[in-house]
Amino acid sequence: MSLGKSDVLLAGMGEIKVAHGEGVLGCIGLGSCVGVVLYDPATESGALAHVMLPEPPGGESDEMPGKYATTAIPALLKELGTPTYALSRLKAVLIGGAELFQNRQRSLQIGGRNVEKLHRLLEAHRIPIIFEDTGGHHGRSFELDLATGQLTLRAVGQAPVVHNLAMAMMKLAKAS
Amino acid sequence: MLTELSAFRQDALREIGNIGLGGAVTALSEMTNIRFTLEVPEVMELTTTQLHLICPSEECLSVGAVARVEGDWSGEAAFLFPWQSAEVLWQALIGTAPAELSDLNELHESVIREVANIMLGSFLNAISQMTGFELHMEPPAFAADMAAALMSSLMVEALYGQRELLAIETRFRIPEQQFEGFFFFLPDTGNLQRLFDALGI
Repeated sequence: MSLGKSDVLLAGMGEIKVAHGEGVLGCIGLGSCVGVVLYDPATESGALAHVMLPEPPGGESDEMPGKYATTAIPALLKELGTPTYALSRLKAVLIGGAELFQNRQRSLQIGGRNVEKLHRLLEAHRIPIIFEDTGGHHGRSFELDLATGQLTLRAVGQAPVVHNLAMAMMKLAKAS
Repeated sequence: MLTELSAFRQDALREIGNIGLGGAVTALSEMTNIRFTLEVPEVMELTTTQLHLICPSEECLSVGAVARVEGDWSGEAAFLFPWQSAEVLWQALIGTAPAELSDLNELHESVIREVANIMLGSFLNAISQMTGFELHMEPPAFAADMAAALMSSLMVEALYGQRELLAIETRFRIPEQQFEGFFFFLPDTGNLQRLFDALGI
């Protein structure tokens, strides 16, 4: 079962949330947006950004860094404080990036481009993606319990699906 | 953006919404033989918190139609209905409604698209008559999903297009029935001045 909302640190559009140890991070109603979590097993800290676009549409931006993939990843790394040489011990989780309105004459494909940009940024930092549920045409909500590694995914008209990421979050931790 | 608009201009936008959507709701009433009422439109910044106007929760199943408007006053127009309200429209127009999301078929989709088509057509028509603008719209696109996912996807598109999230929005209802509809129009940046010029204000 999912936890009550009051126990979950929910990142709204463009927001960043950080939790240590016992925290639960989550997003509600991701459409074309992507929830990206970076988890550091060494410090048991996780940081989540609710990314809206691949990059700032007008170039540089001093707005909320969580809004854009290109500014969100550096901001998450800063929040976690992981040393540069140890970035590969981080684990990434990506959820969202759908395209809800189909049959548009001029589709902007924002969801797909968000996911693609995040892939490229994570690859550049050599951060492995341990879980991903992206693309398609439906909205998603999720909660990730950092203590247990339990990831709960919700879509409309479907029972919540629970994934256990504990192994993925810890196994790689021993290797680093 | 909103704060830069004088109260007078905000009133003018509200009145445009009122006239445009008055026509739209009349068209919907004629289509369905149901009397709809329209709330006085508001001019405000679009945020996901406004979802609570129509939905008990951000994850409640909703139905949306969105259409691109091109011409002298371009922008995006969208309608959102909670699922229960879409059921009212389906029952009124085709005498049956899908029991759940998995039963939704092309006919149901086209009904919602057609409702959006007719309402938006009259909205644009009213604005054309007032301003002399030439306006045309693309066929509406359809989606059924979590209210917050629908709304946020539309907001992100506006952000991508560097449009202000200034919305002319309103709710329409059926007296004594569980029906709520939410309409908003997001004009492209720079178009507001053109509209005020056309109206001579």
